[in-house]
Amino acid sequence: MPQIRLSDPTLRDGNHAVAHQLTKLQISRYAEAAEAAGVPIVEVGHGNGIGASSLQVGLSCEDDATMLRAAREKLSRSALGIHCIPGFATINKDLRPALDLGVDVVRVASHCTEADITQRHIGFVRDRGKEAMGVLMMSHMASVDVLLEQAAKMEAYGAEAVILMDSAGAYLPADVTLRVGTLVRNLGIPVGFHAHNNLGMAVANSIAAAQAGATILDGTARGFGPGAGNTQLEVLAAVLEKMEISTGINLYGILDLGDLAEREIIPAVPSIKSISIVSGMAGVFSAFTKHVDRISKQYNVDPRDVFFELGRRKIVAGQEDIILEAAQQLAQRKLAT
Amino acid sequence: MSYTADKMKIAILGSGNIGTDLLVKVLRSPHLECAMFIGRNLASPGMAKANSLGVPISDRSIDAIIQNPDCCELVFDATSAIDHKRHWPILKALGKRVIDLTPSNLGMKCVPAVNLEQCVDCDNVNMISCGGQTSIPLAHAIAQTQQEVEYIEVVSSIASRSAGPATRINLDEYIETTESGLTMFSGCVRTKVILNLNPAQPCVDMQTTISAKVGNPDLTKLNSAVEAIIARVQQYVPGYHMIVAPRVETNRIVMMVKVQGLGDYLPRYAGNLDIINCAALAAAEAFARHHLSTSSFWKGSADASDSTK
Amino acid sequence: MTNDLRKMVREDCLRVLGEASRSFEVLQDGVLLMTGGTGFMGAWVAETVAFLNDHYRFDIRLQLLSKRASQFAERAPHLATRKDIQLIEQNVLNIVELSDEVNWIIHAASDPDGRSHATDAVGTLRTIVRGTDALLQAASRLSNLRKILHVSSGLIYGAPGEKTRNICEGFVGGVDCAAPGQTYVEGKRAAETICAAYRSQMRLPIVTVRPFAFLGPYQLLDRPWAANNFIRDGLRGGPIRIQGDGQTVRSYMYPADMAWWLLTILARGPSGAAYNLGSPHGIALTDLAEKIVSLLPQPVKIVTRTMGLNAPAATRLVPDITLAKESLGLEIKTDLDAAIRLALQWYRAV
Repeated sequence: MPQIRLSDPTLRDGNHAVAHQLTKLQISRYAEAAEAAGVPIVEVGHGNGIGASSLQVGLSCEDDATMLRAAREKLSRSALGIHCIPGFATINKDLRPALDLGVDVVRVASHCTEADITQRHIGFVRDRGKEAMGVLMMSHMASVDVLLEQAAKMEAYGAEAVILMDSAGAYLPADVTLRVGTLVRNLGIPVGFHAHNNLGMAVANSIAAAQAGATILDGTARGFGPGAGNTQLEVLAAVLEKMEISTGINLYGILDLGDLAEREIIPAVPSIKSISIVSGMAGVFSAFTKHVDRISKQYNVDPRDVFFELGRRKIVAGQEDIILEAAQQLAQRKLAT
Repeated sequence: MSYTADKMKIAILGSGNIGTDLLVKVLRSPHLECAMFIGRNLASPGMAKANSLGVPISDRSIDAIIQNPDCCELVFDATSAIDHKRHWPILKALGKRVIDLTPSNLGMKCVPAVNLEQCVDCDNVNMISCGGQTSIPLAHAIAQTQQEVEYIEVVSSIASRSAGPATRINLDEYIETTESGLTMFSGCVRTKVILNLNPAQPCVDMQTTISAKVGNPDLTKLNSAVEAIIARVQQYVPGYHMIVAPRVETNRIVMMVKVQGLGDYLPRYAGNLDIINCAALAAAEAFARHHLSTSSFWKGSADASDSTK
Repeated sequence: MTNDLRKMVREDCLRVLGEASRSFEVLQDGVLLMTGGTGFMGAWVAETVAFLNDHYRFDIRLQLLSKRASQFAERAPHLATRKDIQLIEQNVLNIVELSDEVNWIIHAASDPDGRSHATDAVGTLRTIVRGTDALLQAASRLSNLRKILHVSSGLIYGAPGEKTRNICEGFVGGVDCAAPGQTYVEGKRAAETICAAYRSQMRLPIVTVRPFAFLGPYQLLDRPWAANNFIRDGLRGGPIRIQGDGQTVRSYMYPADMAWWLLTILARGPSGAAYNLGSPHGIALTDLAEKIVSLLPQPVKIVTRTMGLNAPAATRLVPDITLAKESLGLEIKTDLDAAIRLALQWYRAV
């Protein structure tokens, strides 16, 4: 039994980086290579999960069923996973069909203070006999005590693990040690961690999480993901191997996976640009970057100002529409001065 | 100025926050009189409030009306979908008009700004949902003025504190009810509803974005239709304001409204809860006026004749 | 109440709060409701608010809600008649609605007097448990609520085992829930759980303080606490009677410090946190009695009553205040000697 279970959302979080335009061919090719590398969980779908394809956060070029089928065909030992946000996805329209298509793992996610919206969806997954995990997004926005309380609710609902997400890439290693450690000590279920690289801390934060007792870590090929990207899976795998922490994956397989991803699905390997540093510092959801860039240009305002304004308003994931209003206000303020 | 003879007697079923807020609104109405405020628990704060306002209270739930059928002509049901399904056959047999604030989907769906006149003769009128009351007027304006409406999407952000356990457990039902309401009032089959809960304190007012994919956007026509319908909504929801006027952004029409509540019994930031109460009140007042006189509901509309009995 | 005493309290406020007023700037222009607002704590919160309004133009409007609001008018007319202070005569159990302009709440409605707990155990429990529920239910409908400060009790830790250590907020002790005299403590523990439930489900911002013991103006001397008893007996010429060998250790905070701490925790304590409220400087009761005697105008005898063979060992009930110190910059500004001197000055004049 490996000490760390790696979960790979390249085909889901990565979708943010290409405005949800991953094709079924790309999904198929990557899934095949991930299976060969022994990646335990391969997560697939629109960046905001099943049922999220919308004008609000972007329309995906393939529908959920197509994406899931393309991956399902190629995965047998690797589990097929999805991300699911109640409020975007409903049981009837999105979750039930996904489970019917053969999804193995459902990560039901809420904003880090709103775990009680996941009760029914987690319950549904468990009733169908599949694996349900709870996910707390934008977890830097709540205190440790609140995170523990919310994670405990998910545990009460039947979640079989709780994943803390650093959706804005705002954490430093000490933050992770404290938060993951507190959950590990107080929950009866495994704890996982999902990092973003806005401040260059993704791998270090993931290792801190492992040392604090996390047993599930997320990583993507070449760090493919929104903004500055995610934890780079190949690097994480190598570091864990060097630390003699078992993951069950094949190192060369993971390296090949990264190479394939770079060749076939990643138009530009993520790097930490100014705008990502700002969003990390402002504590704003990484996936807002493309929307902020586009709308800032339209209103002729500095995107960095928009990010700090969104951070000031404590905007949560899913509130992309507020970007329009914030940019409009900044533009009006500019005219007034 | 005694209007008692000209007021329709109503009862409110459901003594929680929604029912109590509705009571405060009814007490202000020139056309409605609350003959009974009904719940299950005399110790609830809503009951104490009603009592302090001199309104007769009862903890016998639907039995209060069965045992005293002449007490009212119209009933607001602010209980739950399951309870309403039980209440409706009883109230129908008693010949009562019902305004249903639950997502039971039984009655005629009503959005006052759009179809108030068609509802005045219905015996069960359903208020759909808060998101529905907020977005359907605008979706209707889009459908009326744009060609080839392919898709309508509504995203609402509400204060986390305004969403209690009932809302949270029934998120899916809220989404599905609102989507079908949008389809019914716009004729557009493909609709999508998204709900975000924002925990920021101080609490944020309800904010709703309506976007649509249409064949050839005609902003001029849309702007005047939107202005007109917002004016109609504001007659019964004073806190309803446009904050981003209709515009075309990357192949879609988009507009944003904000709803601040009246703060009658619910907090002012709970515009989402207030709008459904305001709409329910407007529907009831239309019933009452229709029953009591023939004057039109809309101020300044062409057929406003003031012929009272 | 004489002008001298009013001046004394005002000088205390200046001494303790003068430099610290910036730390609760966020309260400016706000409306603060205090339940149980006419007791000892309420009087000091009212004095502090009056001071901040008079000296720094804080413009806080204070609502004091209590079933004994009219008594407050007799005890502190200079406060009761202020335009910025409103007295609301109401039992916390009957709260249905709060004025929508309320931004801040200090919930202190309860009676810490052990004699009431003995005689009216049911009433004690009802006031704390149902009263807290009624208040929070009404608070959940406020449009502009910023924070609620729940006044719990240092007794909720149960019987502390350690004889030499101060009690930290994280300590979880045991309480025999059905033992006589436990209604107050269990009520306060239940109230903390009720607050946690409202925080979790209704997202109410609630911070908790756990008060220990206090010594100073506005304390009623007939309350059955050691320091009060010693001073009362001492002012009457003695003897000061100590039950047991006098090795029981307590600590006492001066109420001007208490008021500073209350407002700071209300303004800046994060929702979900709990802070001890008291002095970390423990003193054995014999030493306390000796200190009091040394500050009395006339010499007074001290008598200890031995308790016999199977008497329970001396206890120590002293808070550790590291959390309040490190996270909010709070400290003890009035030492025990000064506190006793000021208390004696007050009680001799009142």
